[in-house]
Amino acid sequence: MTKKHANWSPYDNNGGSCVAIAGADYCVIAADTRMSTGYNILTRDYSKISQLADKAVMASSGFQADVKALQKALSAKHLIYQHQHNKQMSCPAMAQLLSNTLYYKRFFPYYAFNVLGGLDNEGKGCVFTYDAVGSYERVGYSAQGSGSTLIIPFLDNQLKSPSPLLLPAKDAVTPLSETEAIDLVKTVFASATERDIYTGDKVEIVILNASGMRREYMELRKD
Amino acid sequence: MKLDTTGLESLPTLIAPQNDVVGDLSAAPSFDLPNSNDFDGFVKEAIQMVKPAKGTTTLAFIFKEGVMVAADSRASMGGYISSQSVKKIIEINPYMLGTMAGGAADCQFWHRNLGIKCRLHELANKRRISVTGASKLLANILYSYRGMGLSVGTMIAGWDETGPGLYYVDSEGGRLKGTRFSVGSGSPYAYGVLDNGYRYDLSVEEAAELARRAIYHATFRDGASGGVASVYYVGPNGWKKLSGDDVGELHYHYYPVTPSTVEQEMVEATGA
Amino acid sequence: MERVADSQRTLYPYVTGTSVVAIKYKDGILMAADMGGSYGSTLRYKSVERIKPIGKHSLLGASGEISDFQEILRYLDELILYDNMWDDGNSLGPKEVHNYLTRVMYNRRNKFNPLWNALVLGGIKNGQKYLGMVNMIGINFEDNHVATGLGNHLTRPILRDEWHENLTFEEGVKLLEKCMRVLLYRDRSAVNKIQISKITDEGATLFPPFSLKTYWEFSSFKNPTAGAEGSW
Repeated sequence: MTKKHANWSPYDNNGGSCVAIAGADYCVIAADTRMSTGYNILTRDYSKISQLADKAVMASSGFQADVKALQKALSAKHLIYQHQHNKQMSCPAMAQLLSNTLYYKRFFPYYAFNVLGGLDNEGKGCVFTYDAVGSYERVGYSAQGSGSTLIIPFLDNQLKSPSPLLLPAKDAVTPLSETEAIDLVKTVFASATERDIYTGDKVEIVILNASGMRREYMELRKD
Repeated sequence: MKLDTTGLESLPTLIAPQNDVVGDLSAAPSFDLPNSNDFDGFVKEAIQMVKPAKGTTTLAFIFKEGVMVAADSRASMGGYISSQSVKKIIEINPYMLGTMAGGAADCQFWHRNLGIKCRLHELANKRRISVTGASKLLANILYSYRGMGLSVGTMIAGWDETGPGLYYVDSEGGRLKGTRFSVGSGSPYAYGVLDNGYRYDLSVEEAAELARRAIYHATFRDGASGGVASVYYVGPNGWKKLSGDDVGELHYHYYPVTPSTVEQEMVEATGA
Repeated sequence: MERVADSQRTLYPYVTGTSVVAIKYKDGILMAADMGGSYGSTLRYKSVERIKPIGKHSLLGASGEISDFQEILRYLDELILYDNMWDDGNSLGPKEVHNYLTRVMYNRRNKFNPLWNALVLGGIKNGQKYLGMVNMIGINFEDNHVATGLGNHLTRPILRDEWHENLTFEEGVKLLEKCMRVLLYRDRSAVNKIQISKITDEGATLFPPFSLKTYWEFSSFKNPTAGAEGSW
């Protein structure tokens, strides 16, 4: 048969940007709410942020259906963890679980770009950043998704701290206060929206600290 | 081909597996394979799509006092630097290190997996696994996945009952014993410095300096390598991190800026 | 894996339906679709029902492969039947049905054997309105107005402009008719036999098919290349 016919791909890129910043006693996790396919905007109000545990929040961009499957798999695993251990999973434990979950799909990957933010067992902010097949790293701040190449240099400029690999070690805590970090997140999203067609509409910001979790929203350009 | 998934088996769960509600969530995890006619092509395309980070310089060598292991810390996707703080020297256990070149996730996952196996060996036999044994464990697993698109180029360095040990293992099935290796896009540059300065009777300080210098020169010439040059030493008492230096600063350490002599001063022209 | 499965996959669609458009309005959900069934570029069928009520609280609209849609309807019939067999006075709402559909579609794409559709699910249960979409690879979301296929390009800008929370039934139908007219003019596989249906807390109503009044005498329709020098 020579007829040219519609073909399909099991993947799509629905775009979006995710950012997380860790502070001494807080963590800010943010993502825009636009969902696109090609030049089409499917919806302007889709949350990319998922709370996996009390102190672990994941923001994911990439292929929405994979992201949703990943979120559901992690929630289910966390539910079992709670039944077995009678406690919430810690953020570093969730980070390893996410890494393994991604790697078990090594040969049919989740097309998902994640940042995991939360508080560790000492109450310090922590951010873990991933590639799609599960390699991960604990960092002070990170960005993933379609606008990450615009956002990371901006964050480097504002927040760059000595590398954790340096020996003798240098203090590497993000020097910002919580409100300054939230303002910075708002600024980077406003900037990314100017130059990335897959980022826009609204930014959802989740703030984790000793007193719990809080949400904020800011409108972005809708063009 | 039946895949060797023994590496994925975890300890039996406390909950009885017949529990229907839990389903396969409590079962030992396993790889999900695509139902594609062209597995190779699919995996290749999919991995290209998720844009793996590439570019590395890693090295390790045996000398009189033990093994020296060093690496850069950059990950790049084409021209974009995706990270300057990758931990390419993986701490398998207190006596063994692995290096990371190729797919970051592949290396991280299988080194962690190797760590589990080594600990299990220790528990079963009341003695630590040899570097020979550990590297063979890894090589066998990687070989069983050969042709499926894994990308690993690693050196297993450690200290066991026979003294220092060093092996190169890769995802194509290769496993070589040796005294001097360098892996990654920056390896030709590192080899140049390493081969030139290597002697068996180097002291720990001299060996560390050689390793650092080799990494620095590789980052200088290889655009895909950079960040921080980390140097680890494995001796009879296990590994120890000796240094971690920003290669940007190392440059001025190796090539200090000296004020040049001024040949002619500019002077104010006198009024006409 | 299974070689047999390879030959049984849908590699491309045969008989397809075009756009579905749906909106929330004051009392529930309104959904519109034409009744064409295309075989490639041939208009093979002209009276295909592409909107069906599901259970007590939902409406399902489909574009894409008609046979796959009918298969999905069989799945849903079974789902609703098993749900009714509990006889507990409880019934699946639109949210549950939509979630079920997202899992079916995503599972089939994971098996490299997709159901070749974009589905729209609308409904209302206990006064809670729900409108969502799923496509052949499992992408799913909710919104106040949705459209599949070319409708996404041609009608969603209109909906973003004119939709509001308190549309009356009459206003809603008028808005959908406007959308369907644009599609009729510019989507070559659209036909002028349209079905509109609504679902409220009182249940689903499928209105009889009707035709839109069209006007083809616009000067740009008669001579579309005027002013475009160098074209035919």
